[in-house]
Amino acid sequence: MAGSGAAHLHLGKLNLSILRDFYRREFLECIDKCTGTKALVWDDGLTGPFGLIAEASMLKEQHEVERMFRLEASGLPSSNVQNIIFITRPKLHLMEIIAQCLLNEEMKGGFVRKEFYLVFVPRKSLLCEKKLKEQGVYGSFASVEEFNLGLIPFDSDLLSMETEESYRECYLENDFTSMFFAAQSLMTLQALYGSIPYIYGKGDCAKQVVDMMRRMKMEMGGVEAQITPQIDNLLIIDRTVDLLTPLLSQLTYEGLIDEIFNITNTSVKLPPEKFVTAEDKKNAKEEALSEPKKFILNSADELYAELRDKNFNAVGVIVSRKAKTITAEYDERHSAKTVGEMKQFVSKLPHLQAMRSSLGIHTSIAELVKDFTDSDEFLDSLRCQQELIHGIDTDKVNPYIEDCMARKESLTKVLRLLCIQSMCNDGLKPKVLEYYKREIIQTYGFEHLVTLSHLEKSGFLRPHSARTYQVVRKTMRLIVEDINEQTPTDIAYVYSGYAPLSVRLAQTLARPGWRSITEVLNLLPGPKVEEVQQIPMGLRKRRASVTSSQSSTGEQKLTLVFFLGGVTQAEVAALRFLAQQDDGGTDYVIATTSIITGSRLLDSLRENIQPVKLNPF
Amino acid sequence: CKILRSYTMEHIEERAKVLEEATNCFHRCKNDFAVKQTEEQVRLMRIQRRLEDDSGRSYADLSLQDTLHQLIVEGNTTWVDKLRKDFKVPEKRFWILKINALAYGEDWMELERF
Repeated sequence: MAGSGAAHLHLGKLNLSILRDFYRREFLECIDKCTGTKALVWDDGLTGPFGLIAEASMLKEQHEVERMFRLEASGLPSSNVQNIIFITRPKLHLMEIIAQCLLNEEMKGGFVRKEFYLVFVPRKSLLCEKKLKEQGVYGSFASVEEFNLGLIPFDSDLLSMETEESYRECYLENDFTSMFFAAQSLMTLQALYGSIPYIYGKGDCAKQVVDMMRRMKMEMGGVEAQITPQIDNLLIIDRTVDLLTPLLSQLTYEGLIDEIFNITNTSVKLPPEKFVTAEDKKNAKEEALSEPKKFILNSADELYAELRDKNFNAVGVIVSRKAKTITAEYDERHSAKTVGEMKQFVSKLPHLQAMRSSLGIHTSIAELVKDFTDSDEFLDSLRCQQELIHGIDTDKVNPYIEDCMARKESLTKVLRLLCIQSMCNDGLKPKVLEYYKREIIQTYGFEHLVTLSHLEKSGFLRPHSARTYQVVRKTMRLIVEDINEQTPTDIAYVYSGYAPLSVRLAQTLARPGWRSITEVLNLLPGPKVEEVQQIPMGLRKRRASVTSSQSSTGEQKLTLVFFLGGVTQAEVAALRFLAQQDDGGTDYVIATTSIITGSRLLDSLRENIQPVKLNPF
Repeated sequence: CKILRSYTMEHIEERAKVLEEATNCFHRCKNDFAVKQTEEQVRLMRIQRRLEDDSGRSYADLSLQDTLHQLIVEGNTTWVDKLRKDFKVPEKRFWILKINALAYGEDWMELERF
């Protein structure tokens, strides 16, 4: 568990450290129920998210947590703590491991009597409890708790539930549990920051979530937090409304890092070669060098906060400019004459040194990214994407995709391009689609028939249907020519000329409002939701005029945008860009079920088949 | 899903049987494409089995492309041509495949002849 400082969380428009403290308090209450020394056993999928709400050091010092283990089939390492707490997601295969661990412990016996506890995150499941009973270990637990972890604060304006599978669950398996959690975490937010007066939504799942919220509100029986609402609007966007955006290659700095190296829980693992200095090389052993290096990426790092949302082509310029200012500031020490000046310089030193080391790191990361973006493979596929979104020859078999298949490049890449073509052409002609499918099966193997049918079921690939893409593209101005990558004037810079539809929807909602694009909204899949939650008179914000979207005092509205089914870093960047615009009049906080890239989205829909080795006899 | 189950079978004949059942299911829901692909897969599996008997090398669980690749590397031209015609492999993909495979097998003589 990497302890990351959370000082940056309160810098945003909405003080998210309140939310973080809320979860931390709940969690500590949960583990403080048992007295005495404790060992925590973590399910691997949870250590990352929990690292963001409670630091390991704090747990150790103040809450008698002596040891932390990973949940592994090999059993628990021996220790002499009084309590062992398992913290796990409600997944069946994890239950088996836990049962195994318990049985091992009982076999070992020991002098100290141990108590076992089990904490489910986010929720108990009957099935899991039944499994534990079957294994005959359910009775061994002193108590079984649940800890309801919903939206985890990632940054001063970004929240994530970290449920990677939610798109697959909703649209392939028709399992809407994750939507229930989404609704629940929105209720938590409202309890902390006041009810949100206006709710908008688009898409099937959005409607579900809004309905669930309404029901939860009724169940609470009108007991609501008496807080002046800090969030003005809630916009819920279902991923199915805009499937095209995540499939395209993101071109912002953070987006590219995510595409290439996968950022998980705000940290990224990078190949170490670029980061070792000559000194380290002498000292470190061979194996230490081959281990990937881990970096935490959030806006607490001043330089990264500036770089993350820029188009990658602009990153180089900023880095070199920063390098120059830092050297200039260092040089100031020569001009310092009086003691006072010297003192001033010394006080700046720690900050300067921090800047310099982060500059070093980001130069190296940028180099790694550049190696990738300069490759022919990347450029060719980017060119192919650009042609497709402009609607060039989308109705024919695309020669580049054909070549990729013939060269047997990664299936994810091929599927990604294929899905883009299908989106931009409003579905493929049956003949073309069948040709592609046949090629994939012949090249990559018959087992992918299942994956293909999943993609068709969840709307990524489809046979020809009504023309909507062209209309949507024109009215929403998705394609923008002449974008300025260095000092952007439109959100389209995040994809170098393509504006994400989802963010355009948020933009039009702020001004002039959705009524102006009723036609487009009707073309997009899923119902539209609009709801007003009445706020008691005394709690309302005082505003100069109720009708105008911008109050004369210059106060900005705050909109929470919730992406069901995941959001890409590029879309986050685009929303941040909108928030920075002076005339926008709206600030954005972004919440999502998980942060995705096109590849991760498609991989979650893939069926992994491990064939049993054929018996030749 | 029958296809998923077929991959858990150890014996090739059992697998083929499950896949044939799958074909029937696809027939019933009128998924012509899937019917055809499943039938082809069964055929491919049978051919792979025969090749295995002939040469003693394993072709199991390879896709058609990989099977062709391995056959070209081994220089088994009769079967290459037969499979290519049988499964209607498009020209373009086949030639890229052939060049790659020859280069992989370091069969520079054959590569010269293009």
